[in-house]
Amino acid sequence: MKKKVLALLLTTTMIAGLTTGCGGGNSGSNANDTSATADSSASSNNASTDNASGGDAAASSDDPWANVDTSEHVVITYMTTGETPTGTKEKYDQMMTELNKILTEKCNAELQTYFISWTDYLSNYNLTLAQMDGTVDLVGTASDWLDAWPNSKNGAFLELSEDMLKTYAPKTWASVPASNWELCKYDGEIYLIPEDNYAQWTNHGFIYRLDWAKAAGLSNGVQSWEDMTTYFRYVKETYPDITPWDSDGTQYAQMAGGWIASHSDYVPIDGINSAAMWGGTRGDLYTVYSPFATDTDSLVEFAKMMKEWDEIGVWQTDVLNNTSSTNRDDYRIGKVAAEQHHTQTWTDLVSHTPANTIYDDDPNAETGFFYFGQETGNVTALSITHGAMAVSAGSKNPERALMVYDLLRNDPDCYKLFCYGIEGVSYEITADGLRTTPEGYNQDTDNINGTTNYWWGRNDDLEIPDATRDWDKINALYDEYDKIKIEYPYGQFVAEVDNIRSQISNINEITTNYMKQIAFGKYSGTAEDIVAEYQSALKSAGIDEVTAELQRQFDELYK
Amino acid sequence: MGKTKTKVKSNYNASLTFFQKVKKYRVLLLMCLPAVLFFLAFSYAPMPGIWVAFVKYNYRDGIFGSKFIGLDNFKFLATSGKLLSLTKNTILYNLAFIILGNFLAVFVAILLNEMRSKWFKKISQTIMFLPYFISQVLVGILVFNLLNYDTGFVNGILTSLGMERWQPYSNPNVWPPIMIIVYLWQQTGYNSVVYFAAIMGIDGEMMEAAKVDGANGFQRIRYIILPSLKPTIVILLLFALGGIVKGNFGLFYNIVGTNPILYNTTDIIETYVYRATMTDFNFSTASAVGLYQSVIGFIIVMTVNFIVKKIEPDYSLF
Amino acid sequence: MAKKEDLDLMESGAKVKLGTSDKIIRGFGYVFLTLYSICCIVPFIIIVSTSFTSESVIRAEGVQFLPKDITLTAYNMVTKSGGIWLSYLVTILLTVVGTLVGLSIISMTGYALQRKDFPFRNAISFFIYFTSLFQAGLAPYYLLMTQTYHLKDSYLAVLLPLLMSPWLIILMKNFVKSIPHEITESGKIDGAGDMKIFVSLILPMLKPALATIGLFLALGYWNEWYQSSLFLSSRVAVKPLQFTLYEIVNKTDALKNSVAGQFINLADIPQESVKMANAVLATGPIVLLYPFVQKYFISGITVGAVKG
Repeated sequence: MKKKVLALLLTTTMIAGLTTGCGGGNSGSNANDTSATADSSASSNNASTDNASGGDAAASSDDPWANVDTSEHVVITYMTTGETPTGTKEKYDQMMTELNKILTEKCNAELQTYFISWTDYLSNYNLTLAQMDGTVDLVGTASDWLDAWPNSKNGAFLELSEDMLKTYAPKTWASVPASNWELCKYDGEIYLIPEDNYAQWTNHGFIYRLDWAKAAGLSNGVQSWEDMTTYFRYVKETYPDITPWDSDGTQYAQMAGGWIASHSDYVPIDGINSAAMWGGTRGDLYTVYSPFATDTDSLVEFAKMMKEWDEIGVWQTDVLNNTSSTNRDDYRIGKVAAEQHHTQTWTDLVSHTPANTIYDDDPNAETGFFYFGQETGNVTALSITHGAMAVSAGSKNPERALMVYDLLRNDPDCYKLFCYGIEGVSYEITADGLRTTPEGYNQDTDNINGTTNYWWGRNDDLEIPDATRDWDKINALYDEYDKIKIEYPYGQFVAEVDNIRSQISNINEITTNYMKQIAFGKYSGTAEDIVAEYQSALKSAGIDEVTAELQRQFDELYK
Repeated sequence: MGKTKTKVKSNYNASLTFFQKVKKYRVLLLMCLPAVLFFLAFSYAPMPGIWVAFVKYNYRDGIFGSKFIGLDNFKFLATSGKLLSLTKNTILYNLAFIILGNFLAVFVAILLNEMRSKWFKKISQTIMFLPYFISQVLVGILVFNLLNYDTGFVNGILTSLGMERWQPYSNPNVWPPIMIIVYLWQQTGYNSVVYFAAIMGIDGEMMEAAKVDGANGFQRIRYIILPSLKPTIVILLLFALGGIVKGNFGLFYNIVGTNPILYNTTDIIETYVYRATMTDFNFSTASAVGLYQSVIGFIIVMTVNFIVKKIEPDYSLF
Repeated sequence: MAKKEDLDLMESGAKVKLGTSDKIIRGFGYVFLTLYSICCIVPFIIIVSTSFTSESVIRAEGVQFLPKDITLTAYNMVTKSGGIWLSYLVTILLTVVGTLVGLSIISMTGYALQRKDFPFRNAISFFIYFTSLFQAGLAPYYLLMTQTYHLKDSYLAVLLPLLMSPWLIILMKNFVKSIPHEITESGKIDGAGDMKIFVSLILPMLKPALATIGLFLALGYWNEWYQSSLFLSSRVAVKPLQFTLYEIVNKTDALKNSVAGQFINLADIPQESVKMANAVLATGPIVLLYPFVQKYFISGITVGAVKG
């Protein structure tokens, strides 16, 4: 991983060097140049070649937009989910002023952020899009959690033609491999610009106290769900005051999905329903099935183990109604012994940051991660449209919006400002190139990182790693993933659910109802009975029709 | 509508033409004008948009340009097989809320009226109003803290008394009364204001006269207060009936949350639809459900209003 | 202050003729209302004391009936940015303006609609009532407000839709009904126009109704969060008070129940004590206002005496 970062850094410096080196010379014909190089890069599938040719494109001119009419100063609005900065407002405004200076100079535009508050974000997000009156230009979106595909189909997003992308977002166009652009198409048109050059792992698993697991006799840490049982039992007996895992009732889907990943080679399709109930297998990617309907024995075993966990007292008795659990913060201070979340969260909890006081209280404290699929080596990388930028179809200045995005994503100055704030105020770079906080820094008023919610165009070439993270451990795990992972195979598949919508919503409902009881061991009767009941309910809700319909659409696309 | 109009015509208006009537009552008409304009602008103007329930909504084409798909948006409700039980739950809860809610509100208003100590009246009424201000999210949190198995307030008392712990969150049957109690607790202070004001409006001389005639407290309540509250009660009921198929989402969602063990007795149309749209957000489906609820509410109100009009024309809404 | 005398007169009269049944009713009333009031105030005490409790105590021991040691941390957090005072201002302005305008329109309409000789009263009543049965739904309403009326990010989007409701108009109509028709008649005989009759004869008698409906309107404005959540985007720096509370209280839930949860910055999740402090700050003023409105209910008792 370190090597990769280094390589990227080198590439970046090279690009920068080329840009300054052979600037001004051939600016006259730059438009042609750009498209030519972009074409050649589009035909190539190799990422590193792409980076290099991206360099060429950039190298051809200081100003890729010399021929674009930017005489009118425009305001580009960027819509993102999240909260308007309050405590950090002053520093945020300063950062935006600085950023807008650069944007004005480079493309005569300025940026404004339009925050969609987390409260009711889904309806407010869609309503704002429905206005179609130019309220927003750039739209942060995601295929798996923010309706990217439905909105592409609904006409909320603008089709981005290759010409547009080449002309107005040349660096982005060049840096995204053609195969990745393919994954952003619906009906032959590009709608999304993927965040495809940013390493993040959001596969879930259990975060636990490695030191306690060792004390429980698991010298290699937790390696399986059975080990997890041993671990919880040990914690409950040794530390009676601790709720091993103060879960809330929403975790059921991740647990069920995690169990299945650990006991099969199932590869789920994103974005059909939240429990990701349909997919293929690693060996046979394009035959659709639903393990929830077919893997009866495995589910029965799951139900039995969860009943055991419930009886051990892993979670609170009323876990299904527990919405005010603060499990993650409790983990930091040593009040619980496990957290179920994804790798990104683990990278935080494993590190000795000021918030994670367990490491201060107990020098032996260590945090392990049992990721779902560990037993079977079944890990799938994140879809590249997990974060993506789209342009609103109502935008009055789509060209300028693309130009602004191109700068935000690729211009080091813009990127650092937008992601980390003003250097020396909100962050500092250490001698070894890591990001830390400057003297007199106050998190409540000075922090910019994570407040602009720019999850739709982060770029590993420009990222500055956080000094507080334990990169040795993190990179070790990333390397492990890289050995076993497969890329997300269904990026091109956009399910047409209009005909099966009512079946899917009924299946969602049934799954929520039964899976919550199964995953927290709250069912009455035997495990066999509850699973049989669940599966027959799925059947009568039409799960077979959905599977067949998805198979039909798969066959159309992949055969 | 034509029928209603002819009925209400007073005798001396019967001979007037429409325009003469407009002219004669222009001042009263003008007094109604702001309200009429208001409802035109904010309620009637968006109404044609109900069409969205019948189309496959496309942002670029707008509501009326989108493709017509008939009743497809209603399908998910119908095929769930739950429409009946959801509608039943919704209506039964609302009936309980309306009947018990009004009963308790009248009861409290009358008692308040009988109190002679001004400060007691003032303070108790203010206090009873308090629950109305607590947001339903907070109500949900309070109920959970009161009732939960491990750390709940009630179970704390039970254990200290040496009794067994109570486990309401895994027993669906205890929830209808709990929901009703919470509702009454939250709404009664507010609802009783209407009745209290109505009692205040009762002719003071009539009350005095009754006292002079030797009517006791119960008789005053029975023969003066209750009858004079009748129109208010009827109107409140008629109004509430219009929304009888519309559930109190905030109350149910915040208290029951997404605990499937309790759905049998606590799932209402709103909570079901909410769960469905959380994963698949869709304006058209939501509008379809709203339309379904409106149509049923409309039928019920028209029927009841018709009956009320037959019996006591004065009390009907229109 | 003649009314005050009437009131005293009545009370003394009542005392003289206090019979057994009155005693029973009164005794029962005191007991019942006291118990009921206790039920109502306990949760509120819990909220207030939680807002003064430190977060660590809440996590360790749950919400408290009485705070163990009082801390103002939560209040400091809420008032830190100073934005809350501007929110107060906006909310108060909206409440005052909205209530006054709404009240005048509602009372005019209510009066006109209860006039038995007004030939259009049923048509207009139905026109108004119908809107409580059929609503267009979210999308059409939203698009009309933003695309046609251009009310996005305008406080008018909060002020206007709450001015009146069918329910309040019908309620007012019902209240006016209880005023004897002879008053209108006598006004007519004196040669007064409808507007004059309404303003100088009817309005003064409507005090309890105006107080009740005014209270409902004011509560509606004070507690309003829905229109704000739809129409006031992040571009509006100062949001109404309850909307701020709504956002704070609901944020956690919205985050936990969605896939978006992976982005939560846990520092953003409001703590219990902060939620409660917000609830106290948002609710306090209107609760304090209530006793003053009540005065008008009490004075309403003399309405009957004015007759003649």
